[in-house]
Amino acid sequence: MVNSVDEYLALLRKELAGSDAAVIQDALADAEEHLRLALAQAISGRPDISEVEAIPPIVEKYGSPQEVSTAYREMEARAPAGFGRSARVGHQSIVSRFFGVIADPRAWAALLYLLLSLGTGIAYFTWAVTGLSLSLGLLVLIVGLPLAILFLLSIRGIAFIEGRLVEALLGVRMPRRRMFFDDTTGFWKKIKSLFTQRITWTALAYCVLQLGLGIAYFTVFAVLIGLSVYLIAMPITVGVLDMPAYIILGDTEYLATDWSVPIFFLLGVLLLPATMHLAKLVGKGHGALAKFMLVSKQD
Amino acid sequence: MWGKNKNVEETESADKKFQKELVSGVAALVLLTILDKAAEPMYGYQIAKVIDGQTEDTAMLKQGALYPVLRSLESSRLLQSRVEPSVSGPPRRYYQITELGRSTLARWKDMWNQMRTFVDTVTEGEGNGQ
Repeated sequence: MVNSVDEYLALLRKELAGSDAAVIQDALADAEEHLRLALAQAISGRPDISEVEAIPPIVEKYGSPQEVSTAYREMEARAPAGFGRSARVGHQSIVSRFFGVIADPRAWAALLYLLLSLGTGIAYFTWAVTGLSLSLGLLVLIVGLPLAILFLLSIRGIAFIEGRLVEALLGVRMPRRRMFFDDTTGFWKKIKSLFTQRITWTALAYCVLQLGLGIAYFTVFAVLIGLSVYLIAMPITVGVLDMPAYIILGDTEYLATDWSVPIFFLLGVLLLPATMHLAKLVGKGHGALAKFMLVSKQD
Repeated sequence: MWGKNKNVEETESADKKFQKELVSGVAALVLLTILDKAAEPMYGYQIAKVIDGQTEDTAMLKQGALYPVLRSLESSRLLQSRVEPSVSGPPRRYYQITELGRSTLARWKDMWNQMRTFVDTVTEGEGNGQ
């Protein structure tokens, strides 16, 4: 028999084991919101009743951990995250799959994320490094600790916002609700859990890491997209506008001849979808990284 | 004795399964209707209370199963929500019906009425075939 909200949450977590980490976090947040409210109402109505007595009817109405976890599992199976499934799945030739990526909103969304990551990377890195050095530096003084706490809370906020961005653009299921701290525990316990939970530190590391990744993503994809567009536009720039086209290999400059222009054009036509496929792939990898570093597994 | 118990168990699980299938379709309709009638945004516990107040038989619809439905209605843009901190306890998520939700609800109500008439005709008119 369940005797407290925490016990129920622990059972629910056990039932949800194996589900998506973000689903678990959402389900636990919903259950906690409901059960604590219901408990507060029950106790305010009859002050003589204890938590152990009040819990069973509340849980009876809310549903057993088993029933609730089934409800979340089924809902998640029906509703895909983010941009959702691709419109057409199934028997398509390799050629149409290769070029079809141009019309795939998920590929463009992933590309957008990768280009944006330079900006977010700079912002996260600056914030993380400034906050970290400021709180560490001032830790010898009394203001250092509150500053460190505020800073770590802001990192958790960044983790949530970045999660929303990752879900929207990369289609990886991320938490849709903020984590909150157990209200029944004391103030110091909450502070302590902020320092001991794994996610605080992985999120901080993510903020630092994002700058390097953002620079790499931006450079690679800006060059690839730029090059594809340049190659595809060559018939116009060389043929119609009469602009000279250079290729520089080592120290030698070659001027593109008229007959080579169609070949470069073809190269561009192949390079653009290849870049989009690469964007999708890198986006997938980054989504997995974000999921690992920004979603709490156990707290 | 053992065989009898097994039969009872099987009946129960069949009932549970049927109930779950029924509820999974109807829950969305119920939630949309409640939020359509509501004057202002409501949070999950409030909605559960409203359902509780309207019917005695709450065993049909577990409160815990409402939240994933709310969430899925939101992701299909029939509802919108915002989180507000509360003075006591965890922050609450307030749900509100959208324009799309209203027009969808009107269609779903029609579908529900058709379905109800259809099921009533079939289940109550069982003697007609003979």
